[in-house]
Amino acid sequence: MKEVVDQGIKTQEIEVNFGPHHPSTHGVFRMVLTLDGENVRKVNPHVGYLHRGIEKLAEKRTYAQCVPFTDRLDYICSMTNNLAYVQTVEQLLDLEVPTRAEYIRVIVSELQRIINHCVFWATFGNDLGSQTALMYGFRDREMILDVFEELTGSRMTYSYMRIGGVAKDISDEQLKEIERIVDYMLDEALPEYHNLITGNEIFQARTKDIGILKPETAIDYGVTGPNLRASGVEYDVRKDQSYGIYDKFDFDVPTRDKGDTYSRYIVRLEEIEQSCLIIKQALNMIPEGKVQVKRVPKRPPDGSTYSSIESPKGELGFYLVSDGSKRPYRFRVRPPTFIHLMALEEMMIGEKVADAIVILGSIDIVLGEVDR
Amino acid sequence: MGALQNLFVNLALFFRESMVNIGFSQLGIEATMDLVAGIGVLAVIAISALVLIYVERKVAGFIQVRLGPNRVGPKGTCQTVADALKLVGKEDIIPDRVDKVPFMIAPILFFAPAVLAFAIIPFGENMIPIDMNIGIFYFIAVCSLSTIPIIMAGWSSNNKYSLLGAMRSLAQSLSYEIPLVFSILGVVMITGSLQMSDIVAAQSDMWFIVTQPIAFLIYLIAGAAETNRPPFDLPEGESELVAGYMTEYSGMRWALFFLAEYAHLFIVSAMATTLFLGGWHGPILPSYIWFLLKTGFMIFILIWVRWTFPRIRIDQLLSLGWKFLLPLSLLNILITGVVLYII
Amino acid sequence: MYGQGLLKGLATTLKEYFGGYTTQEYPDEYPNLPDTFHGSFELDVDKCVGCTVCDRNCPNSVIDLKINRGEDKKKEIVRFKVDLTRCQFCGLCTEGCPTNALKFNQEFELATYNKEDLILNLLAEKPTQTKPKKKKEVS
Repeated sequence: MKEVVDQGIKTQEIEVNFGPHHPSTHGVFRMVLTLDGENVRKVNPHVGYLHRGIEKLAEKRTYAQCVPFTDRLDYICSMTNNLAYVQTVEQLLDLEVPTRAEYIRVIVSELQRIINHCVFWATFGNDLGSQTALMYGFRDREMILDVFEELTGSRMTYSYMRIGGVAKDISDEQLKEIERIVDYMLDEALPEYHNLITGNEIFQARTKDIGILKPETAIDYGVTGPNLRASGVEYDVRKDQSYGIYDKFDFDVPTRDKGDTYSRYIVRLEEIEQSCLIIKQALNMIPEGKVQVKRVPKRPPDGSTYSSIESPKGELGFYLVSDGSKRPYRFRVRPPTFIHLMALEEMMIGEKVADAIVILGSIDIVLGEVDR
Repeated sequence: MGALQNLFVNLALFFRESMVNIGFSQLGIEATMDLVAGIGVLAVIAISALVLIYVERKVAGFIQVRLGPNRVGPKGTCQTVADALKLVGKEDIIPDRVDKVPFMIAPILFFAPAVLAFAIIPFGENMIPIDMNIGIFYFIAVCSLSTIPIIMAGWSSNNKYSLLGAMRSLAQSLSYEIPLVFSILGVVMITGSLQMSDIVAAQSDMWFIVTQPIAFLIYLIAGAAETNRPPFDLPEGESELVAGYMTEYSGMRWALFFLAEYAHLFIVSAMATTLFLGGWHGPILPSYIWFLLKTGFMIFILIWVRWTFPRIRIDQLLSLGWKFLLPLSLLNILITGVVLYII
Repeated sequence: MYGQGLLKGLATTLKEYFGGYTTQEYPDEYPNLPDTFHGSFELDVDKCVGCTVCDRNCPNSVIDLKINRGEDKKKEIVRFKVDLTRCQFCGLCTEGCPTNALKFNQEFELATYNKEDLILNLLAEKPTQTKPKKKKEVS
């Protein structure tokens, strides 16, 4: 939180409504800003415009039927949502997943991370007024969507993960196509991103030293993912509480010390690079075999479990309570971006209105996940 | 070639002579000629704005790896016409709590300076509507007028976004007017005249961009800021202020704002051509073609910049204007003066 | 040097300016959809054994089917309707189908003027649906 300097001039504060229908609130988020001229004095976020009651809906469905609902939480990265849920159910059932399925899961969820960060880059550029970035980011995302479309049948809501595996095996042509995309991302797309936006002096002036989130504050609020790593805390669920087969891969966790919007931006672009490297390793190591467990028990034993994954936006966790029936007794989502939104006030106060938009863009929210 | 070179001049002469033959009085002839010129300027503005909007969208499309408008007419050339017709046909919405009179006249007043500025632009050899001896001064005076309608629009809209946008516009115009004027001053010092025809004539063998490169850059930046072109489009910064001072406008009034913006773009580019790129001077082709080519090039650069750069922030904009461009332009004047004194 | 990044950005956009396009002129050009695409539904009535797995798998009870057991204990499908208004196109129904009778097709233009039209009657005589003429993608 920046110090508010009293300049000794009497001014009238105005309240401005940002959203729910505003060009750059990334959906239907609303914040009431109290402005003193161009400076932000107070932030009052309002959430809940996209509430669909997914947690309640899931209580009336069997464990397998809940998968399509997790797609609709964070609709930019459905794959990782599926994975987080399915993994929790597997933990509840104590189920072993075939190795090939594990590899496919790693490949698709890292592709999903690339998609998410492309979309982040695109919309962040748009928030700053560079509309060309929007098109370039979505162009590159489109290639991965085509692969996913062939694999799963849908472009955004995949429902690809199944309890005990994945829905469909991946073909060799698709693996080759993925390799091509990864090479394209590393050799052409990322340099272009850096040339167009990162190196731009206007961009750097707009983002550096803006919206600083100190590591202690970030930890207090429970911020995770790239936002936490940009503040200098090296915490990545893939490394620290390794799930799946992530311990087999060799990758770095990019961090920055400053915790400003520029750090959050650059950390995400570096994560694209690391994801590409993970996918390359996975493509070399992927074994043949089954992709799904033959028999999955319908009724998990009594009890509760929590498991989380490193979704592109942060730590996405599911907490399931089973009462021994076919349906979950309690279905609880720990959405990363909802928690990030709570730290908004810390970052925004004392900044300019234009920066408020940049800060909101930099924490990369998706309202489907915030409101659930 | 000679016939083409003086096509429009001869056309005007022909009109004048035929009117003399019919037996018009001197006053009648002058009045008719002025009327024709006026209509001609309005037509040029309307057509250039329509063409510019199409060009902007098409260039933006190509830059953004898409096609741009391609449905109405061949290659989408009639798209802007269709859009304009749609906007004319829309209901004229005046919100309930706006200050009605300023709200209604603001778009018209915003358009007026654009038309006025066309009076002094030398489109070709002997093709300058009015060759005033204070041409540059007139241009500066008229251009700074466009701030007032923006304030009118922003204040009368009774909307916070509009008000913030208008206030930004005021701050922006104030801080960029001075570097703009000072950058032109270098040219005026070399020429020793404020008259547009003199300035163009002085560039017959050397364009001023060679002798005044810094002034050209300052003019380009300040000109983009004056016309609210991105990266200086803060008054209507979409991602924070929705549409700035235009938020409450719709239909024809909005279209007037839009049209005037492109007219301003044309004027800034045309003035850049006249002041720094040698005006209508050029080999082989007729003078007006050269003028259009150079202006088109300037417009392309401005569009290209628009679709590449992110938007600058208001305090950065002001410090760029006051702390960088103003001292630089003063330095430029000093150097120009010293060099002129030595020579 | 200050300004280098700006020039690099300009070079990038200029390169893309001459670099062609990636969009499709949609009503003229149709996308090449993969076989797995989740479009509208198709039912092969002869293959359907009436096991109702699709109905039970569906998270939203979208499928409304009724089966009569004839005298020779053969199942006869009387009603098979899919309510697209609540369908999530997740594919759990087609995945569960043991005989591949229920399938997705590539029809993706599902917008209708009336809400009632969104309830597909899969048993009805195939209406001579004006399938979009698929133009080959212009390379």
